[in-house]
Amino acid sequence: MASISARRRYIGRMIPISIAYIVTVMLASRIIPDDAAATPLTVAVALVPALATSGFIWAMARYITELSDEYVRMLEIRKMLVATGLTLALASGWGILELLTDVPRVPLFYVFPVWCLGLAAGSLVNKATIGDGGPCP
Amino acid sequence: MKNRLKVLRAERDWSQQDLADRLEVSRQSVNAIETGKYDPSLPLAFRIADLFGLPIEAIFLKD
Repeated sequence: MASISARRRYIGRMIPISIAYIVTVMLASRIIPDDAAATPLTVAVALVPALATSGFIWAMARYITELSDEYVRMLEIRKMLVATGLTLALASGWGILELLTDVPRVPLFYVFPVWCLGLAAGSLVNKATIGDGGPCP
Repeated sequence: MKNRLKVLRAERDWSQQDLADRLEVSRQSVNAIETGKYDPSLPLAFRIADLFGLPIEAIFLKD
C-alpha cells in the first residue's frame, strides 16, 4: 500500500543519513581540537554534521508529503505538533531560567533530540485522545 | 458524524482489510472512520460512496 511504500522510502532515506551523521560527527570531532576557536575552517567542518541533521528533517518532510493515507498523515502531523509545542515550551522556559538564574546552560544541539522525544509524547497523546498512537517511524 | 460503513461492509462480507485494500488506505483508517474517531475528507468520502454505489448522504449521517 502507498503508506507502506512511503514508510519504506522514509527508512531507506534515514539509514544513509544516520550513517552520514555518525561518520561526520566522528570525523569533525577528530579534526577539530577541543575548545577550538571559531575560524572559517572549524566552522565549516563543524557544520558538515549539521547538513545530516537537516537531512533528517528533509526525510521527515518527504515522508509526510508522500503519505497518501490521510488518517495516518493526520496522526503523524499531530505527533509533530505535540513535539513542536513541547520543544518550544521547554526551550522557552529553560531560556528564561538561563536568563534570570544560574541554571546550567543547555547547548542548542539538544533541541532536535528533544523534538524527536516529543514525537513519542505525541504518539501517547494520539493514543489517549484518538485511541491510536499511529506508526512509529 | 455517524456512518453506515460497518453495515455496508458486513452486507458484502468484507473485512476491514478488504475495504481498506479497495479504498487504498490502511486498515487503521477504515477502523477510525467506522468507529467515528475520524471523519474522512470529501475526496475519500466520494471514493467510499463510489465503491458502495451510494450517495454520500446514504453512508454518512449528521449526529
